[in-house]
Amino acid sequence: MRRLEGRTAIVTGSGQGIGEAIAMAMAEEGASVVVAELREDTAVAVRHKIEEAGGIALAHATDVSREDSVDAMVKACLDRFGKVDILVNNAGIYPTSTVEDMAEEEWERVIGTNLFGTFLCSRAVTPYMLRQRRRRGRIISITSGRGLQGADNGAHYAASKGGIIGFTKSLALELAPAGIAVNCICPGVSDTAQPRGHRTEEELYASAARIPLGRIGQPRDMAKAAVFLASDRGRFVTGQTVVVNGGAIMQ
Amino acid sequence: MDAKVVVVTGGARGIGRATALRFSEEGYIPVILDRDAEAGAAAASLLEAKRVEGRFIQADLTDKAEVAAAFERILSACGRIDILVNLAGGTFHKGAIQDVTPAQWKECVDLNLKTTFLCSQAAIAPMKQAGRGVIVNTASNFGVTGGAERTHYAAAKAAIIAFSKSLATELAPHGIRVNTIAPGLTGTDRVRGKYDADEWAKLSGGLPMGRAATPEEIADGIFFLATDESDYVTGATLHVNGGMVMP
Repeated sequence: MRRLEGRTAIVTGSGQGIGEAIAMAMAEEGASVVVAELREDTAVAVRHKIEEAGGIALAHATDVSREDSVDAMVKACLDRFGKVDILVNNAGIYPTSTVEDMAEEEWERVIGTNLFGTFLCSRAVTPYMLRQRRRRGRIISITSGRGLQGADNGAHYAASKGGIIGFTKSLALELAPAGIAVNCICPGVSDTAQPRGHRTEEELYASAARIPLGRIGQPRDMAKAAVFLASDRGRFVTGQTVVVNGGAIMQ
Repeated sequence: MDAKVVVVTGGARGIGRATALRFSEEGYIPVILDRDAEAGAAAASLLEAKRVEGRFIQADLTDKAEVAAAFERILSACGRIDILVNLAGGTFHKGAIQDVTPAQWKECVDLNLKTTFLCSQAAIAPMKQAGRGVIVNTASNFGVTGGAERTHYAAAKAAIIAFSKSLATELAPHGIRVNTIAPGLTGTDRVRGKYDADEWAKLSGGLPMGRAATPEEIADGIFFLATDESDYVTGATLHVNGGMVMP
């Protein structure tokens, strides 16, 4: 029995990396997946991958920092699948800058995508999750070790990721009476495009030496935790941050 | 002979029994360690009813020699120990600090913390030899928040979290993961027995999800931490409490 049979999942930022792995894994477990991604070409490519693997997917070019774009994406999901059971807030950006040199525009862009985008998507799906009789609504947001420990040259990113944790705990309290679980997954250094923006290939793999389990994270590692939280077996876990980082930060 | 062996301490009742059953349903071979012979045998018979080999060994897990003997028996019978779930423990007696006797303090800390230490120690050698293994220890929401009239219990549970992180770092190079499950209010027979129906309804109804956890829901979290679903997770604490505590 597949663990997400018959459910509908929206995964933002799922054109690559961790989001793509979560979208693929949820489709594999039987969910119909909305690949909500800023870039239409990568969204469509992931939709094709899911379909080739026998899954069901809808690709939607979505800017999570814009309310009209988020609303259109959720409407497309409802038009096609009739409901939404799972939201994964994964879309995020991580430019680097010191606070002293940080342009207001860049601050707005990071907070707007990572934190405000998480708010907009969560807000947009909540009424539909509340309307369902079966108690299986799930909101899963991707935070970061930077949100726990701060980021050198990335105060906006750290603030947005720390903000996601506070938002998640609050929303978990709000939605608990309806049986909707709201959680974070906290990855460490992962084998995706994001850390390659500010690390060389060598530096990326060298960081494994500082990780107790001796390797950097793979997108698939986060996807497994997301499937657990989304499945029936994760139903009583809410307001929590599941840390999937090989022991790099223990909390 | 391919089935993985999972040792569940405190497996005679409550969360431990639910955990042994969950692993049994999933095709693992659970071995229950518990000091209670009658309840342990009864739990093991439930495993057998599911037509999966079940075993029970009676032992006082605060006694190093008894722990060593129990683990030797498991190794000689099963040839391997893949997973250890340290669930033995509990609050046992609540009381204001001035009323907690040194004997009560020691009993509580030994039953929760020392059993975790001794059983973990006994499981390390076979896991190292296999080059892999998982230990799941049990804390509590009280290990994070503390609790009035639970100074001994909260101290033991907070200690288990720190112990687990330390052990996770020590054993990671050997491919052994160590994580902690932290249940909140859970409707085991022992916990339910401390409250009358009205008190229980009020207590559990006041939680964010409007109810306490079931032992099976805690077992689900343990199963996640103990299996390849979480193979990049170590040193972590997973709270399964319906939003009761969000550290």
